[in-house]
Amino acid sequence: MVEIRVLEKNPYVLKLHVKDIPLHVLNSIRRTILSEVPTMAVDFVVFTINSSVFYDEYIAHRLGLIPLTSEEALEKYKSPEECREAGEKGVFSEDCFVKLELEGKGREGEIVTLYSGDLKTSDPDVKPIHDKIPILALTGNQEIKLEAYARLGRGKEHAKWSPVSIATHKYVPNILIDYEKCKGETCKECIEVCPRNIFDLVDGKLIVKSEKIYECTLCRYCEEKCPVNAIRVKWIENEFILTIESTGSLSTKKILLEAVKILEEKINDFINSLKERGVLE
Amino acid sequence: MMFPVRCFTCGALIGHLWEEFKKRVEAGEDPGKVLDDLGVKRYCCRRMFLSHVDIYYEILNFPKVS
Repeated sequence: MVEIRVLEKNPYVLKLHVKDIPLHVLNSIRRTILSEVPTMAVDFVVFTINSSVFYDEYIAHRLGLIPLTSEEALEKYKSPEECREAGEKGVFSEDCFVKLELEGKGREGEIVTLYSGDLKTSDPDVKPIHDKIPILALTGNQEIKLEAYARLGRGKEHAKWSPVSIATHKYVPNILIDYEKCKGETCKECIEVCPRNIFDLVDGKLIVKSEKIYECTLCRYCEEKCPVNAIRVKWIENEFILTIESTGSLSTKKILLEAVKILEEKINDFINSLKERGVLE
Repeated sequence: MMFPVRCFTCGALIGHLWEEFKKRVEAGEDPGKVLDDLGVKRYCCRRMFLSHVDIYYEILNFPKVS
């Protein structure tokens, strides 16, 4: 039975301590999150006027990287594969694309910065997650007018569609101290050397701070520096720490659920194709 | 040119933090402490701030050749 403990949870970060799950299962979930969970991002930009000093490609790239809220969009819009085809044909239909418009003029002797908040969206459910991301700057008689089209996509196509900035798993450290060898108060070598400060002395006895154990990076510097070889850095089998850091387009909860759903579909597809070919009954 | 929207290495959103960072550092605060305060944890994201130069202020006044 999989046992999960939440180590950290806020709107952007989710940190879980997962017990009794094989590494390959956890890793497939992690990789599904990175490359398969769809989100909204700008994919096509039509420039009507651009007399700014920034090139069209530069502005288009910046627009693409702005995360857009996609929680509702997942059900509302067609799948990434369908929309990709429609976009390549130049069909910007409403069931695939959200239109974001940007317009601005510079003023003489002054720098006007246009922010993500200045984008006018055709669907209020899909808007930049932050209003203060600078897109470009104008001055004098410079002018910009553009239409950006956002669609659903997957991280494997371009990283801008990835719902997370980082998704990692790591081992749970298990630090064993041999108290027969450890010299305690007189040595303190490992305490000074640990980059994460996970050791402490309590009544002359070396201990690992329980709240800091998850911060250990398994660097084994303490093991190496201990003059009497009293420390062993090990890890616990089948226990991992899964960290997800969302870009804000989807909540961490939605990302996990969506990833598991996609993975399940893929496995079902695999079983069905085996059945079709008569490999399975 | 302008400050990048996302960190080159990890892809975390950092674009919206630049103006506050710049304002506070110019006011004399310690850049490291400002970054801690803004919640920029990883060193890949931190170097984006520390190594950036806002060159577009000057380029803005020259005509574009294209």
